[in-house]
Amino acid sequence: MSDTIKVEDLTKYYGDLLAVDHINFQVQQGEIFGFLGPNGAGKTTTQRMLTTLLKPTGGRILINGHDLGRDAYPAKRQMGLVPEESNVYTELSAWGNLMFTARLYRVPRGKREKQARELLETFGLWEKRNVKVEDFSKGMRRRLSIAMAIIHRPTLLFLDEPTPGLDAQSTRAIRRLIRKMNAEGTTIFLTTHQIEEANQLCDRVAIINHGKIAAIDTPERLKAAFRRVQSVEVALEPIGRETLEADEPLKALGELPGVTHSAKMGDKWRLYTEEPSALLPHVVDYARSHDLQMVSLCTLGPSLEDVFLEITGQKIGTVRHDTQGTGGKKPGARGKRGGRR
Amino acid sequence: MRSWIERLQDEVAQAWTVAIKDVQVYYLTPPMIMFGLLLPFFLFFSFSVKREIGAEVGLARLLALTTFFTASSAGPVIIPMERRTGTYDRLLAAPMSLVTLLLGKTLVGTFFATLVSLVPLLVGLLALGATVANAALLVVSVPLASLAFSAFGLVFASIPTRSVGSIMMPSTLVRWPLMFISGIFIPLAEMAPWARVLAYVSPLTYAQDLMNHAVLGQGFLNPWLDLALLPALLVVFLIPAARLHHRSRVLGY
Repeated sequence: MSDTIKVEDLTKYYGDLLAVDHINFQVQQGEIFGFLGPNGAGKTTTQRMLTTLLKPTGGRILINGHDLGRDAYPAKRQMGLVPEESNVYTELSAWGNLMFTARLYRVPRGKREKQARELLETFGLWEKRNVKVEDFSKGMRRRLSIAMAIIHRPTLLFLDEPTPGLDAQSTRAIRRLIRKMNAEGTTIFLTTHQIEEANQLCDRVAIINHGKIAAIDTPERLKAAFRRVQSVEVALEPIGRETLEADEPLKALGELPGVTHSAKMGDKWRLYTEEPSALLPHVVDYARSHDLQMVSLCTLGPSLEDVFLEITGQKIGTVRHDTQGTGGKKPGARGKRGGRR
Repeated sequence: MRSWIERLQDEVAQAWTVAIKDVQVYYLTPPMIMFGLLLPFFLFFSFSVKREIGAEVGLARLLALTTFFTASSAGPVIIPMERRTGTYDRLLAAPMSLVTLLLGKTLVGTFFATLVSLVPLLVGLLALGATVANAALLVVSVPLASLAFSAFGLVFASIPTRSVGSIMMPSTLVRWPLMFISGIFIPLAEMAPWARVLAYVSPLTYAQDLMNHAVLGQGFLNPWLDLALLPALLVVFLIPAARLHHRSRVLGY
């Protein structure tokens, strides 16, 4: 399979500050490639260089074999860009925005109107096509921004944080569209903070930290490489008492043999360990000896978020986990981050 | 692979698309009204009232001021606004050359200035009873001067910033002195030789002289020189504008 993006020794300095440090990676044709990293890691800087908006200090970028440093024109014709902020013209209507973009990308007249209509219908904006975008909600602007990025049918689409701040319906619609475009052959470069989104959508992910690629692989292989961040999750209720003291079980559970660290997550406690099976009897014993009933108990493999936090040097359990689309766990239910084992 | 003719057709159409979009989006924004429409009139009345100038002299002066201030305001208002909202990235990422984008932006100022120039022209002709010596020359002169001044404004608009204020300050610092040295208020013929040398540095001098030829039927310089220099200035101003855009791309604006 050929490389749609090939990055060689890419470097960016802002004055003396090294923002991107000699990175190398490839994105294959037809892939959904996730680009993850904490704030200030170099994600947006890299994406702006890939989309010609920022001049690299050093290195080379090839898009479908075209060197951006030599002639960006053929590569630009094949790209679509959805930036983090929905950069739509609020003074124009949805239709006006789409027509402007289509003309800019030289989409033929008959085709541009047909495609604009299809996209507006797909994104649920057809009824509002003549309304000025200043009256649109954030979700509607986001959908329009994506429609503008794909009206010329790009073979490579850059998406920067496509779903944060959107309602569940818009988020699902956008993720569905990403999968559909990918199934039709579009390569997707997805920059996101939402690790679960990357986990669900991406064939491969790269994690960038301090301007360097810290890891690059499929989500499952990355998780498999970080067995030490497995965990046991337990929900406890007191027998014969109304409630538990907030810190009561956390401290004691954290001191059980084999627990590297622990965190309270909603009504549950998560205990990180390298040996979940060895820890389970200790948790059961603790519950029995303290007159506590186990509402749920499950072992979890490392989540992509855990891997991300390990690689970027942040403490596991300090970042709120993305719980979108998950209900409450019942005893015996599969954990979404690795499953019961 | 597109042939160079197809590419050229694309680039012309893209420049036109950018210009039309800007006209649709920005024609009634407050900074455009302030800097592009009202300012030339304020300046004209500040320096002309009670000075007993003829209707034709006043008309030529106002036309030069209007093209100068309106055309050179469009870019400095629009580009930082687009940088702030992120819409400028949309243009920079599109498959067109930087020159095409700059020409599109230059056309916007030209449209605005040509359109706004109709106001003093109609006031001069209908209210003040002024006559125009060479209407054909005037029809050519106004868009030509606007084109050069629009490119002049683009030099400031290309400064790497997202703030309209940060561009308006250097732009005003340069444009106002140019207005005073350009033979607008003191005709070239009445200037001291050293002042006339200074006047030749200003692009506004050639527009004022051309307006004098068109409205009054006489100017100080050869009208062909004015007609040749104004489009040449377009090219001259696009060079620093392009260089500043390259600088913006390095800095990340």
